[in-house]
Amino acid sequence: MSTIQRDLRREPLRYRMKAFFAKPANLILLFFLIALVVLSLMPMVTMLTNMFTVHAGTEKKMLRVPVGSWTLNHFELLFADPEWSRSNFWTPLLNSLIVATGSGILGILIGGTVAWFITRSDLKCKKFISAVFVFPYMMPAWTLALFWTNMFQNSKVGGGVTGMVESLFGICMPEWFVFGLFPMIMVIGLHYSPFAYLLIGGILKNMDATLEESATILKASRFTIIRRVTIPIVMPAILSTFLLIFSSGFASYTVPVFLGSATRTFTLSTKMRALIQAGYEGQGYIMAFLSILLGTAILGINQYFTGKRKSFTTVSGKSGQVSLVKLRGANGIISAVLIVLTLFFAIMPLVSFALESVIKQAGNYSFSNMTLDFWIGTESSVFETGMPSGILMNGTMWWGLLRQVGLAVTVSLIVGTCGMLIGYACVRRRGTWLARAVENLAFFPYLMPAMAFGTIYLAVATSASFKWMYGSFFLLGLVASVKFLPFASRSGVNSMMQIAPEIEEAATIFGVPWVTRMSRILFPIQKSAIISGYLLPVINVMREVALFTLLVPYPRYLLTTMLFSFNETGYAQYGSAVTLLIIVIIILINSLVNKLTGASFDKGIGG
Amino acid sequence: MPQIILEHIHKRFDKFVAVEDLNLVIEDRGFVTLLGPSGCGKTTTLRMIAGLETPTSGRILIDGVPVYDSDRGINLPPNKRDIGFLFQNYALWPHMTVYQNIAFGLEMLKWDRKRIESRVGEMLQLLKIEQFGKRYPAELSGGQQQRVAIARTLAPSPRVLFMDEPLSNLDAKLRGEMRTELKRLHSDTNSTFVYVTHDQLEAMTLSTRVCLMETGRLQQYAPPLEIYNQPANIFVASFVGNPTMNFIPVRILSREGNRIRMEMLGRQAVFTAQAPAEDLSSEGVLGVRPEFLPIREDGALTASIYSTLPAGMETTVKASCGETMLTSVVFGSVDYAVDTQVKMEITGNSIVLFDGQTSRQAGVGAVEILD
Ligand SMILES: Nc1ncnc2c1ncn2[C@@H]1O[C@H](COP(=O)(O)OP(=O)(O)O)[C@@H](O)[C@H]1O
Ligand SMILES: [Mg+2]
Repeated sequence: MSTIQRDLRREPLRYRMKAFFAKPANLILLFFLIALVVLSLMPMVTMLTNMFTVHAGTEKKMLRVPVGSWTLNHFELLFADPEWSRSNFWTPLLNSLIVATGSGILGILIGGTVAWFITRSDLKCKKFISAVFVFPYMMPAWTLALFWTNMFQNSKVGGGVTGMVESLFGICMPEWFVFGLFPMIMVIGLHYSPFAYLLIGGILKNMDATLEESATILKASRFTIIRRVTIPIVMPAILSTFLLIFSSGFASYTVPVFLGSATRTFTLSTKMRALIQAGYEGQGYIMAFLSILLGTAILGINQYFTGKRKSFTTVSGKSGQVSLVKLRGANGIISAVLIVLTLFFAIMPLVSFALESVIKQAGNYSFSNMTLDFWIGTESSVFETGMPSGILMNGTMWWGLLRQVGLAVTVSLIVGTCGMLIGYACVRRRGTWLARAVENLAFFPYLMPAMAFGTIYLAVATSASFKWMYGSFFLLGLVASVKFLPFASRSGVNSMMQIAPEIEEAATIFGVPWVTRMSRILFPIQKSAIISGYLLPVINVMREVALFTLLVPYPRYLLTTMLFSFNETGYAQYGSAVTLLIIVIIILINSLVNKLTGASFDKGIGG
Repeated sequence: MPQIILEHIHKRFDKFVAVEDLNLVIEDRGFVTLLGPSGCGKTTTLRMIAGLETPTSGRILIDGVPVYDSDRGINLPPNKRDIGFLFQNYALWPHMTVYQNIAFGLEMLKWDRKRIESRVGEMLQLLKIEQFGKRYPAELSGGQQQRVAIARTLAPSPRVLFMDEPLSNLDAKLRGEMRTELKRLHSDTNSTFVYVTHDQLEAMTLSTRVCLMETGRLQQYAPPLEIYNQPANIFVASFVGNPTMNFIPVRILSREGNRIRMEMLGRQAVFTAQAPAEDLSSEGVLGVRPEFLPIREDGALTASIYSTLPAGMETTVKASCGETMLTSVVFGSVDYAVDTQVKMEITGNSIVLFDGQTSRQAGVGAVEILD
């Protein structure tokens, strides 16, 4: 090679580097590539090695080898010993699958039915039903689980505590109805049915009405049209919704804990934590790994469906007037039933928590049994409880709340900003491998169930070089930021896609520097998307339990983990009071989001 | 004065070649059009000159100053090139009023308040949009948005103005009006315009020079009439002009100086070139514009009417002569019954002969049909 040739080759490379770093989008991508590899791939590696090494405590005692030696024993125990394997792996796995499948089907049946009535019939009070129906989705899923126990527990099952139904009507529900797989399916299915409603309703609303109308002209009956036209068209959306509910149900930790502990019904998530707490860390990590694999597989299947969906769902959005099905005489009854049911699941939990937090003795709802001591009692009021005073008068509670809010705000600032920057950079450099890598890496934590994710970071924080992190606020902030980044970066990408690149280039030509372009042009245009990008993580952190439960230094560190310990240790009144408090905070934040951005959960479907 | 020179510009997106070895000189105060079918690299070329896209290699000079040079690693950002850019979708900032849209760029250039106010007022007046100063872009019609975009681009008085299909989002009537205004604006502002379009009529009527491209390669760079009358190759000839030029295959029999004997449509003919013709293979293509193929009683060619398309001022007649379909434009409204036999004549001195193998132009001249 001649010198000239070599010069030509070398020089442009240097200039190309210069040109590369002159673009802020490239710098952002490079930063996040490194950060995300460290924060989400490295812990994976830690987890993988933990699957094959011996930990201190139970494992070391059992195996009699030094901590950290390599072993396949965790696999042997988990899969080879039939007895152990059945009770610690196969049964929980089967339970998880049953709960996930059942809640997926239930969620779609409820959500899809309501969606059809709202978009395709002349039902009364659509606006109201639509607004109230999505309410339970805002609340944490475990509130519904607590509500279920509050309602149906009775003297014949579980801990023998009297619930509302027994005390009001004298009915004792059988055990399978109160604890175990059935209520888990009911609660998770109900919780996610608004989600199904939003997705399916959106498709139905935007579906070209002529598709159905042309079938009407061919004299097909209403029922035939639903069966042969409507359902096949929304089928991919239904499948995709099913898979999303399925994976949420599979990953759910709090609901199985509340509804399964009394009867020792374990799912994979609850077993994972139980094993780790009992000192079988290696097996816990294997389970975490398997649930991540399953999450990835489900996401792959889902992308297959949604990818195909584009090709045949005719979403014109500008279709003519849909001729609504006349419900005639049934209209009044159906709307009444829907209103009563939605109100029941929206309002009753609040009433129930309020009641449960003021009664001294469970099951007795007479006025003489009520007290505000659990809220505002002082040291002088004597309880048989673990707290010296009512939660509002109690330093522990306020510290927990303060930490949780502090965590929420910190995480929101980090996640909101990162999501926006990732969105900007990925959209600007779309098509390059760097943008693809960052977008996928930022989405990676979504595949991991919260419990598994917490487990991975536990593995990191208990390893020798990161001991200082264990139990710190910093660790909680870091973990929550990474875990909630997927939604933020997705919405960042979506909102930046709305802005044509020329909008920014028009300013570039005037010599507007990058920071000004962002602050004066791009942000103001996407103001509402960006504000909700910041506020969503607040809600997420305020209601998160599973992610934090393994990582807090002590259970009463945060409000949500505190609530958890109250319920595990049987201080139900405090638990209900804290739950009510959390719900109120979430409702406040959500209405703030609505005020600021004009966005509401059910926008554009109801009415 | 700002003369723009492109030397050996290449642009690749990964492996896809968007622009290949482009050499171009855009004279000061010219109105140059980049013309070509969709996807031929016009936008890419324009964005490379403006500095919004980086070429893979080559050199660009504006006003004698290299703004891009792959060998020396020079790459000036757009704001150092003293240019204005009018985007196809206008790219107005939706959250700013018309006034703010125009003023923003001037603020960024650190003009003082007074000066900005008077300049924006001037621009609003020039483009006849004074009454819209306080409106937001979403509250304006397409044509009004277009004017705001032009005002915003012109406000800092750039010496070169780039426009990427600025009229393609307007309806036919408005497009006609804006065309007139753009030409007027060009002489009023005294700056160089570089204009991208895929509409050959727009290019022909507006520009002082047309740069015709196909799949990333320059096909011809010449004034509009030269492009029309002396197309460099068959692609150029077929892209420009409506209805499209007739292409008649011919077989070259012999040549003596400027006179070429050939066989066409089963007849013997002589082509007399204006200048000595280039070397030719034995196969050729004769390009005849429809207006040089009138229907006449004494015509030498016989054809049978296929269809007639009257448009008021003129009528397009399609007729088949043997295997070949010919298009003729006749002045006024006429109507022929299908399958009528008519006589046609090849007239004028602007008939183009192309080499059948290379598709290149071999000469321009007159055709006389023998026997
Ligand atoms: N950012 C890009 N990445 C990859 N290919 C591109 C990009 N921009 C343009 N191209 C391709 O380069 C070719 C020329 O594009 P363009 O200059 O926009 O054509 P046009 O003449 O229609 O303006 C097209 O085939 C287009 O697909
Ligand atoms: Mg273009």
